[in-house]
Amino acid sequence: MLKILVCVKQIPDIDLVRMDPETGNLIRTGVPTLTNPLDLNALEAAVQVKERYGGEITLITMGPPMAESTLREGLAVGGDRAVLITGRPFGGADTLSTSYAIVKAADMEGSFDLIFCGKESQDGATGQMASQLAERFDAAQISCCCSIDGIADGKIRATRTLETGREIVEATLPCLITVEKENFYGRLPNLKAYLEAKTAAITTYTENDIDGLDPEKIGVPGSGTIVPKIYPPELPEPGRMIRTGSPKTDVSELLKLLAEKDAI
Amino acid sequence: MAAFNKITPEIAAQLKAVVGEKRFFAGEAIDPGYSHDEMPIYGKFFPEAAVDVETTEEVSGIMKICSANRIPVTCRGAGTGLVGGCVPLAGGLVLCTRRMNKILEYDMDNLVVRLQPGVLLKDLAADALAHSLMYPPDPGEKTATVGGNISTNAGGMRAVKYGVTRDYVLALTVVLADGRIVELGKSVCKTSSGYSLLHLMIGSEGTLGIITEMTLKLIPNPLCDISCLVPFRDVESCIHFVPRIKMANLDPQSIEFMDADIVTSSAAFTGNPIFPERVNNEDVGASVLVTFVGSDEDELDQKLIRLGKIAQDAGALDVLVVATTATKKAAWSARSSFLTAIEADTKLIDEMDVVVPVDKIPAFLIYIRRLGEEGGIRIRNFGHAGDGNLHIYCCSNDLEEEEFKRRVKIIMDKAYTKCAELEGQVSGEHSIGHAKMVYLKESVGEDVFRLMGEIKKVFDPDGILNPGKVCDESLAAGKE
Repeated sequence: MLKILVCVKQIPDIDLVRMDPETGNLIRTGVPTLTNPLDLNALEAAVQVKERYGGEITLITMGPPMAESTLREGLAVGGDRAVLITGRPFGGADTLSTSYAIVKAADMEGSFDLIFCGKESQDGATGQMASQLAERFDAAQISCCCSIDGIADGKIRATRTLETGREIVEATLPCLITVEKENFYGRLPNLKAYLEAKTAAITTYTENDIDGLDPEKIGVPGSGTIVPKIYPPELPEPGRMIRTGSPKTDVSELLKLLAEKDAI
Repeated sequence: MAAFNKITPEIAAQLKAVVGEKRFFAGEAIDPGYSHDEMPIYGKFFPEAAVDVETTEEVSGIMKICSANRIPVTCRGAGTGLVGGCVPLAGGLVLCTRRMNKILEYDMDNLVVRLQPGVLLKDLAADALAHSLMYPPDPGEKTATVGGNISTNAGGMRAVKYGVTRDYVLALTVVLADGRIVELGKSVCKTSSGYSLLHLMIGSEGTLGIITEMTLKLIPNPLCDISCLVPFRDVESCIHFVPRIKMANLDPQSIEFMDADIVTSSAAFTGNPIFPERVNNEDVGASVLVTFVGSDEDELDQKLIRLGKIAQDAGALDVLVVATTATKKAAWSARSSFLTAIEADTKLIDEMDVVVPVDKIPAFLIYIRRLGEEGGIRIRNFGHAGDGNLHIYCCSNDLEEEEFKRRVKIIMDKAYTKCAELEGQVSGEHSIGHAKMVYLKESVGEDVFRLMGEIKKVFDPDGILNPGKVCDESLAAGKE
């Protein structure tokens, strides 16, 4: 039976997050959370693999206790088990310390044949987690996967989307895969699974529960980067609709403006 | 044929004096979009002039001039109608309310909002939400004006729980054909005070007066909501499920019907196949999307459990839950895209918006599909299963326009006859305009149709308000 790990992240609804212009901090208070959409594509890929080849899906996330709802969302659409890594010392982590914590916690659950990740998170958008996890799991990595074509004899064959076409690749297991949306749109949970997921057991690890966890490698101390400042991009001057009421005068107005800017 | 006058330079000068040079348009300055609505198959008709109005007094001034000179006036909002309702059949003046787009005042003690007619539905919905309130009517076209919604008595997806636009209009300021300004209704919860001219005005499509201000009822915004997609093998079992939802006392907010074809079109258009075409290894023939609202998650879960039970008994393939922000966004944007999805892959399109008793939906859909197959016309449909309102689209990419119109007319004639047999009505929420007038006449009969015409004469003796619409046959001979 394939052992499959899917990494998921709860993020604030980025459509609703605003930035404090003074401090440059993101104002997350009161902003609804959601599961990183690209992680749901990864989960769907994992569920399709489970349906075709058999297996067990473990979901893992690191975050505050409320991140449990993201795990329950995953359990409702095909996850079998869920692991939450939570605790103050994990806070303020960059990708380096996050990937360390995830791999150490995943090790508590045994070894995995396949690891699925979203390409990036919509809030941080570093796109670094998958490669770091592959390195730490000592796994091969297939990125931009648009189809999983076969799994047999300890190997996986998959198709990658390239800018110039498609590429079929083969890798030995364990293998970490990031997926494209195509073919892996998330599914709706059925009612039974939705209700069962609400009360399903979730394994919770704090910093004290993970064997061999080095406190210097998690949270802020374990982070290799710091973010001194976040600021919004300077937006170009907004466009203006020319609508004088007549196409002829619209064009005259446009020509006048272009001439003023020495564009013609 | 009504005898109207042209807009002479002298009359144009008087109109300009009311709205100013910048909001008066003539000749090429008129927005070409004013010649049609969103159903261009019904022809293009150009006005001689157009004005953008901003106040009740301006509308009154314009109407006094037009009344004195027998100039036809067609009121227009966002032009999102589907029956040619805002199209100036007789030329004359288009009076556009798009600049009357202010939400004037909330009365939080009485849950009432006062606004101008050009406010867009989506803007009212968002603004009400910011006040923790909900404007319950929810027509699919969110960029329609609320004034247009009132003029057509639009319904929408939440009608099954809350009713239609009419149920939320407390009072209107209306400019009559001769320019007099009247107030209809009051901001009260009930009334038994003579004929309700307010309700006569609602749904009258700009043929009795011009709405310039509205007072609408709001409700507290529900604290939480959840939707379920319930797929079935075929349309019949899907529709038979609808009354069971109601009988189970589940009080759904909406029950939307979608068949397999529209789901495929929508997935291609939005690029997100949120509604599955196969469930548990079976093809989905049709589904309903059911929404519940409540005070907390536990209350909604209890409703879901009861829905699951009756869905199983009704032979549903499964019950799928739309609970997260992302799936709600995807599901409702897919549902809202149905018409746009049809338009995107169709060159020629015509539509009907019949409403039949809920239990007659399968019979009507089977009949219309057969008509489509016989007539070589592709049929697409979706609708509000909870209230029997079906949106049926006749589509073609291959036929020449004249041949398309000929074939569709045959289908429409038969379909409206069938609708009458099934005790249905011509329009559930899109109204009559000029496109459906002949079918309205057949449906209601000579006596009722004539009464409508006589009422119109009381309000508008010279027939200058939106000529050729609803029950005004004076232009029928002159139509394209």
